[in-house]
Amino acid sequence: MARIIDLSLHLLDLLQNSAHAGAGEVRVSIIEDEAADILQIRVSDDGKGMSSDEQVRALDPFYTSSNSKKVGLGLPLVAQAAAMAGGSVAIDSEESGGTQVTVTYKLSHPDRQPLGDIPATLVSFMAGNPWIDLVFEYRGPTGSLRSDTKEIRKEGEGQLAFVVKFEEKLRGGLSLAGYRPDRGGLFHEINGRS
Amino acid sequence: MKSMEDLERLKEETLRDIQLRSASGGPRIVVGMGTCGIAAGARETMLAIIDELKVRRKFDVTISETGCIGLCAREPIVEVHMPGQPKVVYGNVDPSRGRQIVVSHIVNHKPIDQWILNVEDNS
Repeated sequence: MARIIDLSLHLLDLLQNSAHAGAGEVRVSIIEDEAADILQIRVSDDGKGMSSDEQVRALDPFYTSSNSKKVGLGLPLVAQAAAMAGGSVAIDSEESGGTQVTVTYKLSHPDRQPLGDIPATLVSFMAGNPWIDLVFEYRGPTGSLRSDTKEIRKEGEGQLAFVVKFEEKLRGGLSLAGYRPDRGGLFHEINGRS
Repeated sequence: MKSMEDLERLKEETLRDIQLRSASGGPRIVVGMGTCGIAAGARETMLAIIDELKVRRKFDVTISETGCIGLCAREPIVEVHMPGQPKVVYGNVDPSRGRQIVVSHIVNHKPIDQWILNVEDNS
Protein backbone atom coordinates (compact mmCIF):
# COMPACT_ATOMS: atom_id res chain seq x y z
CA MET A 1 0.00 0.00 0.00
CA ALA A 2 1.41 3.27 -1.07
CA ARG A 3 1.79 5.85 1.62
CA ILE A 4 3.09 9.34 2.05
CA ILE A 5 5.90 8.48 4.40
CA ASP A 6 7.72 11.74 4.96
CA LEU A 7 7.25 15.51 5.00
CA SER A 8 9.09 16.09 1.72
CA LEU A 9 6.34 14.12 -0.06
CA HIS A 10 3.65 16.21 1.65
CA LEU A 11 5.57 19.28 0.50
CA LEU A 12 5.54 17.97 -3.08
CA ASP A 13 1.78 17.59 -2.84
CA LEU A 14 1.41 21.20 -1.61
CA LEU A 15 3.63 22.38 -4.47
CA GLN A 16 1.41 20.56 -6.97
CA ASN A 17 -1.56 22.51 -5.58
CA SER A 18 0.33 25.76 -6.24
CA ALA A 19 1.17 24.67 -9.79
CA HIS A 20 -2.45 23.67 -10.35
CA ALA A 21 -3.51 27.15 -9.14
CA GLY A 22 -1.44 28.67 -11.94
CA ALA A 23 1.34 30.07 -9.75
CA GLY A 24 4.22 31.95 -11.39
CA GLU A 25 6.26 32.22 -8.21
CA VAL A 26 6.25 29.86 -5.23
CA ARG A 27 8.02 30.47 -1.93
CA VAL A 28 8.88 27.56 0.35
CA SER A 29 10.26 27.94 3.82
CA ILE A 30 11.23 25.21 6.25
CA ILE A 31 12.19 26.14 9.79
CA GLU A 32 13.49 23.67 12.34
CA ASP A 33 13.38 25.56 15.64
CA GLU A 34 14.76 23.33 18.39
CA ALA A 35 14.36 25.98 21.12
CA ALA A 36 10.65 26.40 20.40
CA ASP A 37 10.28 22.69 19.53
CA ILE A 38 8.57 23.55 16.27
CA LEU A 39 9.01 22.42 12.71
CA GLN A 40 7.26 24.71 10.26
CA ILE A 41 6.77 24.22 6.54
CA ARG A 42 5.22 27.09 4.59
CA VAL A 43 4.29 27.29 0.91
CA SER A 44 3.16 30.64 -0.52
CA ASP A 45 2.12 31.16 -4.11
CA ASP A 46 0.68 33.82 -6.37
CA GLY A 47 -1.86 31.44 -7.92
CA LYS A 48 -5.59 31.93 -8.29
CA GLY A 49 -6.32 31.61 -4.55
CA MET A 50 -9.42 30.25 -2.79
CA SER A 51 -12.62 31.81 -1.49
CA SER A 52 -13.23 31.49 2.26
CA ASP A 53 -15.74 28.73 1.51
CA GLU A 54 -13.16 26.80 -0.53
CA GLN A 55 -10.56 27.21 2.21
CA VAL A 56 -12.82 25.39 4.66
CA ARG A 57 -13.69 22.65 2.18
CA ALA A 58 -10.04 22.23 1.10
CA LEU A 59 -9.50 20.03 4.17
CA ASP A 60 -12.44 17.78 3.26
CA PRO A 61 -11.20 14.68 1.39
CA PHE A 62 -14.46 14.58 -0.60
CA TYR A 63 -13.95 18.08 -1.94
CA THR A 64 -11.79 18.87 -4.96
CA SER A 65 -11.49 21.84 -7.30
CA SER A 66 -10.88 19.37 -10.12
CA ASN A 67 -13.67 18.42 -12.53
CA SER A 68 -12.09 15.14 -13.53
CA LYS A 69 -12.15 13.37 -10.16
CA LYS A 70 -14.29 13.08 -7.05
CA VAL A 71 -11.81 13.25 -4.18
CA GLY A 72 -8.97 15.57 -3.18
CA LEU A 73 -6.69 13.91 -0.69
CA GLY A 74 -3.66 16.24 -0.72
CA LEU A 75 -4.42 18.76 2.01
CA PRO A 76 -6.45 16.31 4.17
CA LEU A 77 -3.43 13.95 4.31
CA VAL A 78 -1.11 16.85 5.14
CA ALA A 79 -3.49 17.93 7.91
CA GLN A 80 -3.76 14.38 9.27
CA ALA A 81 0.03 13.96 9.49
CA ALA A 82 0.30 17.34 11.25
CA ALA A 83 -2.48 16.53 13.71
CA MET A 84 -0.79 13.22 14.60
CA ALA A 85 2.40 15.16 15.41
CA GLY A 86 0.80 17.75 17.67
CA GLY A 87 0.59 20.33 14.91
CA SER A 88 -1.85 21.96 12.56
CA VAL A 89 -2.45 23.45 9.12
CA ALA A 90 -3.31 27.10 8.53
CA ILE A 91 -4.59 28.27 5.15
CA ASP A 92 -4.45 31.93 4.29
CA SER A 93 -5.85 32.78 0.90
CA GLU A 94 -8.09 35.07 -1.03
CA GLU A 95 -9.65 34.73 -4.42
CA SER A 96 -7.14 35.82 -7.10
CA GLY A 97 -4.72 36.80 -4.33
CA GLY A 98 -2.59 33.68 -3.94
CA THR A 99 -2.50 31.08 -1.18
CA GLN A 100 -0.27 30.52 1.81
CA VAL A 101 -0.35 27.15 3.55
CA THR A 102 1.53 26.86 6.84
CA VAL A 103 1.99 23.45 8.42
CA THR A 104 3.47 23.17 11.90
CA TYR A 105 4.57 20.07 13.77
CA LYS A 106 5.93 19.55 17.25
CA LEU A 107 9.55 18.87 16.35
CA SER A 108 10.12 16.31 19.11
CA HIS A 109 6.72 14.59 18.81
CA PRO A 110 7.14 10.77 18.62
CA ASP A 111 4.85 10.61 15.58
CA ARG A 112 6.47 13.47 13.69
CA GLN A 113 7.49 12.18 10.27
CA PRO A 114 11.07 12.85 9.14
CA LEU A 115 11.69 15.62 6.59
CA GLY A 116 12.75 13.15 3.93
CA ASP A 117 14.48 14.08 0.71
CA ILE A 118 13.69 17.81 0.37
CA PRO A 119 16.08 18.36 -2.60
CA ALA A 120 14.39 15.48 -4.47
CA THR A 121 11.03 17.18 -3.98
CA LEU A 122 12.19 20.63 -5.12
CA VAL A 123 14.15 19.24 -8.06
CA SER A 124 11.34 17.02 -9.37
CA PHE A 125 8.91 19.92 -8.97
CA MET A 126 11.14 22.28 -10.95
CA ALA A 127 11.72 19.59 -13.60
CA GLY A 128 7.98 19.30 -14.18
CA ASN A 129 7.21 23.03 -13.90
CA PRO A 130 10.22 24.85 -15.38
CA TRP A 131 8.25 28.10 -15.91
CA ILE A 132 7.72 28.57 -12.15
CA ASP A 133 10.18 30.63 -10.09
CA LEU A 134 10.94 29.05 -6.74
CA VAL A 135 12.39 30.75 -3.70
CA PHE A 136 13.44 28.25 -1.05
CA GLU A 137 14.54 29.08 2.48
CA TYR A 138 15.69 26.65 5.13
CA ARG A 139 16.63 27.39 8.71
CA GLY A 140 18.21 24.38 10.37
CA PRO A 141 20.12 23.46 13.52
CA THR A 142 23.49 24.76 12.28
CA GLY A 143 22.72 27.39 9.67
CA SER A 144 20.43 28.51 6.91
CA LEU A 145 20.10 28.39 3.16
CA ARG A 146 18.33 30.61 0.67
CA SER A 147 18.05 29.53 -2.92
CA ASP A 148 16.27 31.42 -5.70
CA THR A 149 15.85 29.69 -9.05
CA LYS A 150 15.83 33.10 -10.79
CA GLU A 151 19.44 33.55 -9.66
CA ILE A 152 20.51 30.01 -10.59
CA ARG A 153 18.92 29.83 -14.02
CA LYS A 154 20.95 31.04 -16.97
CA GLU A 155 19.72 32.50 -20.23
CA GLY A 156 19.40 29.81 -22.90
CA GLU A 157 20.16 26.95 -20.54
CA GLY A 158 18.42 23.64 -21.19
CA GLN A 159 15.86 22.29 -18.70
CA LEU A 160 17.97 19.29 -17.76
CA ALA A 161 21.17 21.31 -17.23
CA PHE A 162 19.33 23.68 -14.89
CA VAL A 163 17.79 20.86 -12.86
CA VAL A 164 21.17 19.16 -12.34
CA LYS A 165 22.78 22.42 -11.16
CA PHE A 166 19.84 23.26 -8.88
CA GLU A 167 20.12 19.87 -7.16
CA GLU A 168 23.87 20.30 -6.52
CA LYS A 169 23.32 23.72 -4.94
CA LEU A 170 20.50 22.47 -2.72
CA ARG A 171 22.32 19.39 -1.45
CA GLY A 172 25.49 21.36 -0.67
CA GLY A 173 23.71 24.23 1.11
CA LEU A 174 21.33 22.02 3.07
CA SER A 175 23.99 19.76 4.53
CA LEU A 176 25.89 22.83 5.79
CA ALA A 177 22.71 24.08 7.50
CA GLY A 178 22.40 20.81 9.44
CA TYR A 179 19.54 19.32 7.44
CA ARG A 180 19.07 15.60 7.96
CA PRO A 181 16.48 13.77 5.86
CA ASP A 182 15.98 10.89 8.29
CA ARG A 183 15.59 12.74 11.60
CA GLY A 184 12.01 12.26 12.78
CA GLY A 185 10.13 11.64 16.01
CA LEU A 186 10.88 8.68 18.29
CA PHE A 187 8.51 6.37 16.43
CA HIS A 188 10.23 7.05 13.13
CA GLU A 189 13.74 6.85 14.58
CA ILE A 190 13.05 3.33 15.87
CA ASN A 191 11.09 2.04 12.91
CA GLY A 192 13.07 3.70 10.23
CA ARG A 193 11.26 4.73 7.11
CA SER A 194 9.60 1.43 6.25
CA MET B 1 41.81 22.63 -27.73
CA LYS B 2 44.55 24.70 -26.11
CA SER B 3 43.23 27.19 -23.64
CA MET B 4 40.45 28.20 -21.27
CA GLU B 5 39.03 30.38 -24.06
CA ASP B 6 38.70 27.30 -26.25
CA LEU B 7 36.83 25.54 -23.46
CA GLU B 8 34.53 28.53 -22.96
CA ARG B 9 33.79 28.63 -26.68
CA LEU B 10 33.03 24.91 -26.76
CA LYS B 11 30.69 25.34 -23.81
CA GLU B 12 28.84 28.19 -25.50
CA GLU B 13 28.49 26.25 -28.73
CA THR B 14 27.14 23.24 -26.86
CA LEU B 15 24.66 25.36 -24.90
CA ARG B 16 23.41 26.95 -28.10
CA ASP B 17 23.04 23.51 -29.64
CA ILE B 18 21.04 22.28 -26.66
CA GLN B 19 18.79 25.33 -26.83
CA LEU B 20 18.11 24.80 -30.53
CA ARG B 21 17.15 21.20 -30.00
CA SER B 22 14.84 21.92 -27.03
CA ALA B 23 12.99 24.52 -29.10
CA SER B 24 12.52 22.14 -32.01
CA GLY B 25 9.82 19.94 -30.48
CA GLY B 26 11.76 16.85 -29.40
CA PRO B 27 10.33 13.98 -27.35
CA ARG B 28 8.27 14.80 -24.28
CA ILE B 29 7.89 12.76 -21.05
CA VAL B 30 5.00 13.45 -18.68
CA VAL B 31 4.97 12.03 -15.13
CA GLY B 32 1.74 11.81 -13.08
CA MET B 33 2.32 13.82 -9.90
CA GLY B 34 -1.07 13.83 -8.21
CA THR B 35 -1.38 12.74 -4.57
CA CYS B 36 -1.80 9.14 -5.76
CA GLY B 37 1.28 9.36 -7.99
CA ILE B 38 3.37 10.89 -5.20
CA ALA B 39 2.31 8.19 -2.74
CA ALA B 40 3.21 5.50 -5.29
CA GLY B 41 6.72 6.88 -5.79
CA ALA B 42 6.37 9.20 -8.81
CA ARG B 43 9.06 11.53 -7.47
CA GLU B 44 11.69 8.79 -7.52
CA THR B 45 10.55 7.72 -10.99
CA MET B 46 10.91 11.33 -12.20
CA LEU B 47 14.41 11.60 -10.71
CA ALA B 48 15.47 8.27 -12.27
CA ILE B 49 14.20 9.45 -15.68
CA ILE B 50 16.11 12.74 -15.32
CA ASP B 51 19.26 10.85 -14.36
CA GLU B 52 18.97 8.41 -17.26
CA LEU B 53 18.40 11.28 -19.73
CA LYS B 54 21.51 12.91 -18.29
CA VAL B 55 23.57 9.72 -18.65
CA ARG B 56 22.35 9.21 -22.24
CA ARG B 57 22.90 12.91 -23.00
CA LYS B 58 19.32 13.28 -24.28
CA PHE B 59 19.11 17.02 -23.67
CA ASP B 60 16.39 17.52 -26.28
CA VAL B 61 13.75 15.76 -24.18
CA THR B 62 11.19 17.96 -22.41
CA ILE B 63 9.92 16.80 -19.03
CA SER B 64 6.60 17.84 -17.56
CA GLU B 65 4.00 16.54 -15.13
CA THR B 66 0.29 16.08 -14.81
CA GLY B 67 -2.19 15.45 -11.98
CA CYS B 68 -4.33 12.43 -11.19
CA ILE B 69 -5.92 10.94 -14.33
CA GLY B 70 -8.17 8.53 -12.43
CA LEU B 71 -5.96 5.44 -12.69
CA CYS B 72 -4.52 5.70 -9.19
CA ALA B 73 -3.96 1.93 -8.88
CA ARG B 74 -1.60 2.03 -11.89
CA GLU B 75 0.56 4.92 -10.63
CA PRO B 76 3.28 5.96 -11.17
CA ILE B 77 2.02 6.70 -14.68
CA VAL B 78 4.37 8.02 -17.36
CA GLU B 79 3.40 9.28 -20.83
CA VAL B 80 5.84 9.34 -23.72
CA HIS B 81 5.18 11.67 -26.64
CA MET B 82 7.53 11.05 -29.59
CA PRO B 83 7.26 13.62 -32.38
CA GLY B 84 4.82 12.39 -35.03
CA GLN B 85 3.82 9.33 -32.96
CA PRO B 86 0.69 8.61 -30.87
CA LYS B 87 1.00 9.23 -27.11
CA VAL B 88 2.00 6.10 -25.18
CA VAL B 89 0.85 5.73 -21.54
CA TYR B 90 2.84 3.42 -19.24
CA GLY B 91 1.62 2.15 -15.86
CA ASN B 92 3.36 1.07 -12.62
CA VAL B 93 6.55 2.82 -13.67
CA ASP B 94 9.05 2.41 -10.84
CA PRO B 95 12.51 4.01 -11.18
CA SER B 96 13.96 0.94 -12.93
CA ARG B 97 11.12 0.86 -15.49
CA GLY B 98 11.52 4.62 -15.94
CA ARG B 99 15.17 4.16 -16.91
CA GLN B 100 14.32 1.30 -19.29
CA ILE B 101 11.63 3.42 -20.97
CA VAL B 102 14.20 6.18 -21.58
CA VAL B 103 16.67 3.73 -23.12
CA SER B 104 14.26 1.61 -25.14
CA HIS B 105 11.52 4.06 -26.16
CA ILE B 106 13.26 7.48 -26.22
CA VAL B 107 16.76 6.46 -27.30
CA ASN B 108 16.07 3.36 -29.40
CA HIS B 109 12.48 4.16 -30.51
CA LYS B 110 11.18 0.80 -29.25
CA PRO B 111 8.13 1.13 -26.94
CA ILE B 112 7.99 -1.54 -24.19
CA ASP B 113 4.68 -3.24 -24.99
CA GLN B 114 4.10 -5.15 -21.75
CA TRP B 115 3.97 -1.97 -19.60
CA ILE B 116 1.70 0.03 -21.90
CA LEU B 117 -1.74 0.93 -20.54
CA ASN B 118 -2.95 2.83 -23.55
CA VAL B 119 -1.91 4.32 -26.87
CA GLU B 120 -3.77 7.52 -27.80
CA ASP B 121 -3.68 8.69 -31.36
CA ASN B 122 -4.74 12.33 -31.34
CA SER B 123 -3.45 13.16 -34.79
